[in-house]
Amino acid sequence: MRTRSRFPTTTLAILTLLLVVAATAGPAAAQGKPIRIGEINSYSGLATVYTFPYKEGLLMGAKEINDAGGVLGRPIEFIFRDDKLKPDEAVKAARELVGQEKVDFLAGCISSGVGLAISAYAKEAKTLYFATHCQTSRLTWDDGHRYIAHTTNNVNQYIRALAKKAATLPYKKWAHISPDYEYGHNVWDEFIAYLKQLKPDVQVMQENWPKLGETDHSSYVTALLQSNAEAFISAVWGAQEIAFVKQARPFGLFEKVKYVSASVGNPDELDPLGKEAPIGALTPGFAWYDEGMQKRHPKLAEWVKKYEARTKKEPTLGASWGYASAHIIAEAIKRAKSAETDKVIAALSEGYEMEFPWGKVIMRGCDMQAIPPQWTGVVKMNAQGKPVLGDIEETHGKDVIRSCDEVAKLRAAAADKKK
Amino acid sequence: MSPARWLGLLIVVLAVAPLALPPFFLQLLTEIAIVGLFATAFNLLMGFGGMVSFGHAAYFALGAYTAALLVKRAAVPLLLALPAAPVVAAAGALLFGFFIVRLSHTYFAMLSLAFAQIVFTVIFKWKALTGGDDGLLDVWPPSLLKSPAAYYYFTLAIVGLSLLALHAIVDSPFGYALKSVRENPRRARYIGIDVRRHQLAAFVISGAFSGLAGGLFAFYNGSVFPDFAYFTKSFEPLTVALLGGVQSFFGPLAGAFGFKILEWLVSRQWPVYWPLFLGGIVVVVIVLLPSGFVGLVGGRLWRTRPSKG
Amino acid sequence: MSWVTNGPLITVQVMSGLSVGMLLFLVSVGMSLIFGVTRIVNLAHGCFYMVGAYLMVTLVEVLPDRPWAFWLALLVAPLGVAVLGGVIEMGLLRLIYHRDPLMQLILTFGLILVIGTLVLLAWGPDNKSVSRPEALAGSVKIFGQPFPSYYVLVLVLAPAVAVALWLVFYRTRWGMLVRAATVDREMLGALGVNVAALYTQVFMFGSWLAGFGGALAAPTVAVALGMDGDVLTTAFVVVVIGGLGSFAGSFIGALLVGLLQSFGILVFPAISIVLLFALMAVVLIVRPWGLLGRPEP
Repeated sequence: MRTRSRFPTTTLAILTLLLVVAATAGPAAAQGKPIRIGEINSYSGLATVYTFPYKEGLLMGAKEINDAGGVLGRPIEFIFRDDKLKPDEAVKAARELVGQEKVDFLAGCISSGVGLAISAYAKEAKTLYFATHCQTSRLTWDDGHRYIAHTTNNVNQYIRALAKKAATLPYKKWAHISPDYEYGHNVWDEFIAYLKQLKPDVQVMQENWPKLGETDHSSYVTALLQSNAEAFISAVWGAQEIAFVKQARPFGLFEKVKYVSASVGNPDELDPLGKEAPIGALTPGFAWYDEGMQKRHPKLAEWVKKYEARTKKEPTLGASWGYASAHIIAEAIKRAKSAETDKVIAALSEGYEMEFPWGKVIMRGCDMQAIPPQWTGVVKMNAQGKPVLGDIEETHGKDVIRSCDEVAKLRAAAADKKK
Repeated sequence: MSPARWLGLLIVVLAVAPLALPPFFLQLLTEIAIVGLFATAFNLLMGFGGMVSFGHAAYFALGAYTAALLVKRAAVPLLLALPAAPVVAAAGALLFGFFIVRLSHTYFAMLSLAFAQIVFTVIFKWKALTGGDDGLLDVWPPSLLKSPAAYYYFTLAIVGLSLLALHAIVDSPFGYALKSVRENPRRARYIGIDVRRHQLAAFVISGAFSGLAGGLFAFYNGSVFPDFAYFTKSFEPLTVALLGGVQSFFGPLAGAFGFKILEWLVSRQWPVYWPLFLGGIVVVVIVLLPSGFVGLVGGRLWRTRPSKG
Repeated sequence: MSWVTNGPLITVQVMSGLSVGMLLFLVSVGMSLIFGVTRIVNLAHGCFYMVGAYLMVTLVEVLPDRPWAFWLALLVAPLGVAVLGGVIEMGLLRLIYHRDPLMQLILTFGLILVIGTLVLLAWGPDNKSVSRPEALAGSVKIFGQPFPSYYVLVLVLAPAVAVALWLVFYRTRWGMLVRAATVDREMLGALGVNVAALYTQVFMFGSWLAGFGGALAAPTVAVALGMDGDVLTTAFVVVVIGGLGSFAGSFIGALLVGLLQSFGILVFPAISIVLLFALMAVVLIVRPWGLLGRPEP
């Protein structure tokens, strides 16, 4: 009898909760002054090592914009949601941001799968989506469409820049180790294709595909030592690359085979490695501390100081992407003289250039893809005994990126496959 | 008011919801319905059958991918693609279940996990068919069902019918035989019940409805990815059923409702803390609320066994 | 794979596999032990490993940069994890021993989420690392092939721990009580043994083992969020393959898995993702209680 009487009360409570939630969780503000951008990224769990600095950069850029009067006189506002590294959570967040919060634009992603999922939704909802952190070239090329712009680097550019430098080295026999998923395949395919283009006598001696998140690489190290390769490229990244380097070092791998990496130059990997860092490795990286960099880009030191004052930490590549994305988005709206989706798309399609403390970034109109400067460096130990990048060489993405024609062909081929 | 009247009231409320709620909430309710179906199907095994599976994501994913592939690659209309989802999922459940039901307890759970990981690997690696970790994109329902309200009604109808079917199964002689197997397999065998047959049948039914939930989810989400089959997805129906109460038929559904609302509210404010919050709730519920939310609500209705905690 | 016939290389490869297996054994045996006595499958075991590794990072950071610092840290870190284990056992697990084993398992799953977030809040999101001590940072030559010196430490220390464990279980009174508890807890209680205290001790001991595994493994991997998930899955597979509650089973299972990961990747590269689970599936189909496990009473 006690149970019977509790049922109605509690069901009523649940229904009331539903109504209260519906009433109070309406859009945060009426359609009005701020330009609102829904940002979806991974803010819990293990991706936070990348997304926290990125978010700081983004907010720093937004603050600068707003302090200077905003965009078209309106402040720019980011509303954040967590995708928990799951594409379906990202779609749910996108639905809420567009349908409920009524944001003007979508932004974000770190994982390529998430980026593609949001992109598919954006196309369906006819909302412009600025992919701000994830790297896959598919976003604006194979799976590209009208409603997606990519405000940072894509794999094609920075891997080709790396391959361009690698082609100047005297190595013909190459091997690789790449995690067995889309990004790993993307990196290897781009690298070896461009390397062979520049250096036709290059030979592939061995391929290694550890699973993503592998913890024990000793058999791969052994295999590489036996491969007769003169150099190898690693697309392994993050904690996995730290483990790989620590495991490979005592086997003497880096002395026998030249190490080229797509990511070991990033501070999230170099700093923990400390004295175990792979000295001499060739890798891309944002070496804001390098004397040559600062001489070439006089505004860089000031930007770094501003970031450090804000966050009490040193900036990362992701932080620069966040910062640039905020400005690129604002610029597009400025040029469109409106926050209306179609007008902003038109402005993006015309293309434009912007100067950042680290060089010129081009927003290319034919595919709405950003083209930033590219750097390669060599891992060295600095005077304080900390591993850093030195011998920085700078080129620009525009010298290596696929042309608009090539992109058009890629899109056509992908569309054919879908039929 | 009798349970039937309450059910009637609930149905009326759900039916008129699109008039009062903005589209996002309809979508949230749609998702809750799908997760509720998945969790109820899962609970057929766990609460009623006494078998814990760590690999139910496999059947969910099989259903989702079947529906998505038929629509995308074979241009099959949704009304034919969706029924195919539970069929393929059931086939998978039959194949794996044959081996899995021969084990018990932790070993049962682990073998189910192993098979789920195998399904994940196949989906992940067979890029030509499944798109690998790029997933299959643009899997939308036809324009008739595309609006949030339309898909909401569609999902409610399918989930409602499924729940009726599942309830009928639970209340049938088969269902009672299953419960007796859970209580004491040896005694059940002595009175002539083929234990393995019943367990396998329950496994297949559970897998089938999980696959149906997967199919519904594919069109709701608009894309399918290999992580639908990854073992962490298997913990979702488990947690949801637990929170709602595994001893009652509607427990998982109530759990789905509570869980999804909580997740939405907490995650948008404090994303970093959501896992902490969820973990905390799980701990609190297990320690303090043996019968889950429904126990709190007094779900003596449709209770399956005396409160044992 | 021309090196298949290369003796020295195979030796080195086998030894690498054994090292990894040994580290895995330390974690797995703790899990198996806890299950054997308390019947709880402790899903939070991977978290204990992770906390052991993170404590190692902190201890090495705060201690002065001397050779003995590493060894002191290796000693202290697992003790910290044991304390954590004790707190969890006494504060939470005691409340649910009478409950369905399923509920206990799910509670430990909830703990994973709680401990994982606490680690993020305490140590931050950045990747961390523990350097190998100077003396062990290089390599030794085995039949002319370089082999990391640190793995030699693992190959010496972990089996020593295994032997010590065996002595504890089979030659001490406490060990006898533990073994008795795995067979019949109620009887043990009826004989006047303080079973509650025994449970706490066993849980703390199991946590200590996981923490020691994490601290010892830290210089060979990256100390980062998510490391608990990897090790939990692998350790769980090891324990299931060996048979829950079986000491020898954990040992054999760990070695099998260590060697499989070493060689299997080279023989079956396409399915390296699922190799472990495929092995477990095969074992369970052939032996439903694991290699050396016993049917539930």
